[in-house]
Amino acid sequence: MSRSVSVAFSVVVGGAALAGFGSLRRGNEAPAGMRRGLGLLRPPGSLDEPGFLARCIRCTRCADACETGAIRLFGPEAGSSQGTPGIFPLVRACNLCLACGDACPTGAIEPLEKKEDARMGLAVVDKRLCVSHAGTGVCGACFTACPLRGKAITQGIRNAPEIHADHCTGCGLCEEFCIVDEREGLRAIQVTSTRRWSGASGGLRVRPCA
Amino acid sequence: MRVIKLQIARRLVQMTALALLLAIPAVSRYGNYLAARELDQNIRKWDGTVQGRALKAMDATFRSLPKGEKERAGEKVRDRKAVLSYTQSLRGGPWSVQLAGLSMTDPLAGAESVVAGKKVARVLVISLIVPVLLTLVLGRVFCSWVCPMNLFLEITDRLRGVLKLLELPPLDIKFSRTTKYALLFTGLVLACIFATPVFGYIYPPAIISREAHDLVFGIFDGAEDGHFNAWMSGLTWMSLLILAIALFEVTLSRRWWCRYICPGGALYGLIGVARPARVVLKKEKCTRCAACVVVCPVGLNPMINRMGMDCDNCGLCISHCNDDALAYRLGRAKQRETVAGETSTGRSAS
Repeated sequence: MSRSVSVAFSVVVGGAALAGFGSLRRGNEAPAGMRRGLGLLRPPGSLDEPGFLARCIRCTRCADACETGAIRLFGPEAGSSQGTPGIFPLVRACNLCLACGDACPTGAIEPLEKKEDARMGLAVVDKRLCVSHAGTGVCGACFTACPLRGKAITQGIRNAPEIHADHCTGCGLCEEFCIVDEREGLRAIQVTSTRRWSGASGGLRVRPCA
Repeated sequence: MRVIKLQIARRLVQMTALALLLAIPAVSRYGNYLAARELDQNIRKWDGTVQGRALKAMDATFRSLPKGEKERAGEKVRDRKAVLSYTQSLRGGPWSVQLAGLSMTDPLAGAESVVAGKKVARVLVISLIVPVLLTLVLGRVFCSWVCPMNLFLEITDRLRGVLKLLELPPLDIKFSRTTKYALLFTGLVLACIFATPVFGYIYPPAIISREAHDLVFGIFDGAEDGHFNAWMSGLTWMSLLILAIALFEVTLSRRWWCRYICPGGALYGLIGVARPARVVLKKEKCTRCAACVVVCPVGLNPMINRMGMDCDNCGLCISHCNDDALAYRLGRAKQRETVAGETSTGRSAS
């Protein structure tokens, strides 16, 4: 095959890749029933979203390193986020062991020194759902689960939780252990993140939350 | 005899890489259960199933390692911390791996991450040292000794012989060998434009590493939900891409991916262009039987003694030589290398 044909071939393949990639970039919603409107949680120490997507080589090392099995990888349905790590506290929350920053070969997840430095998101209490806030019971499950209890979460009357944004790491342990279980996995305390979904919807390889 | 040993060694290394590919995610799940103190309970609950047996086998292996067990009240119990440190020392797949502190990343992944992120991370440089040094000395050996895709394609390549027996001779369309270098360049430019490592989506070792991870995680997720036969549930349609490449090679173009397309192989070839370890012909012994030409997986012609960038030092030509005329030698190439030795093969094969 002559050289010009070879060049033409690579141009065609490159063009196809361009078109394919363009279609991957469309869509901007969370998987149905999971974290709708709450934003995406990346492992602790992750760079900002554009930097993360540029550096991450989709290699599975963070997921293999994760102590709790909280880090899961997106499947091909997630478009350009395919193979990148995400954390869904309802399936399993991060316990801030920080092994993922250690495992990342490209610095997409930067190694952190203390768990207090992590900023994955921010927990938010829905006071109408929370039994302690609504006055229907005395709970305190989120306070007990919080790795920075006393700093990130303090308790008021009937153990009603207060979140302190300057200390909350967004690990999601409070969300995992919240006793309120409304339909579609809605909890009284949920972690929100400013990270938008850059890939198409769906594709996280986890079983549907119970 | 010596040469058969070489091929056996190569297969063993390939099989080890394949076994690690499946073992590392399984060890990761074992570590999850151990960290959550659910391990003994799961081993008991899943007794008799594949998942239970796998956990039991891993448990026995880690306990038998040094410091894996400690004495407590006269009984030998698992040393949780030591075992966890063992499980955490294994991470990743052929795309990027960490084996007991030794971090290795595919140069293609490194190049893309640098080009896309426009920044060189120190961890990345550290994990590139070993693969790049090995390639500088030995050439494209990742392809022939480690790459799981190459192992798969070497096996499916035998199907061409079956097709021939069935009187259905498969086609062998020849492409230009420069295609893969053009694709490598195109991909790096695309990575720069999109600020995303695009090869990570289509490079077979990366796909296989993610698919194996998802497969094993899916199997254990199934066990947690009480489904012990959820075998393929973790796989995605990216696996079909692997099968499509194999099908294309069997029917239309022999070893198409590795010879003409693979951007990773192209980069390994470029790094290893001045490798000291190469296959050399002793001209006086050669009887020009062309057994080496038939067997060469990347379609080179060892008889003209000019192995270019494409040679992955697999040694199959040495193993199949009837006259003991080919051997590995340390030293510099005598003649100037053509780009991938394309002219030589094209002419002699046709």
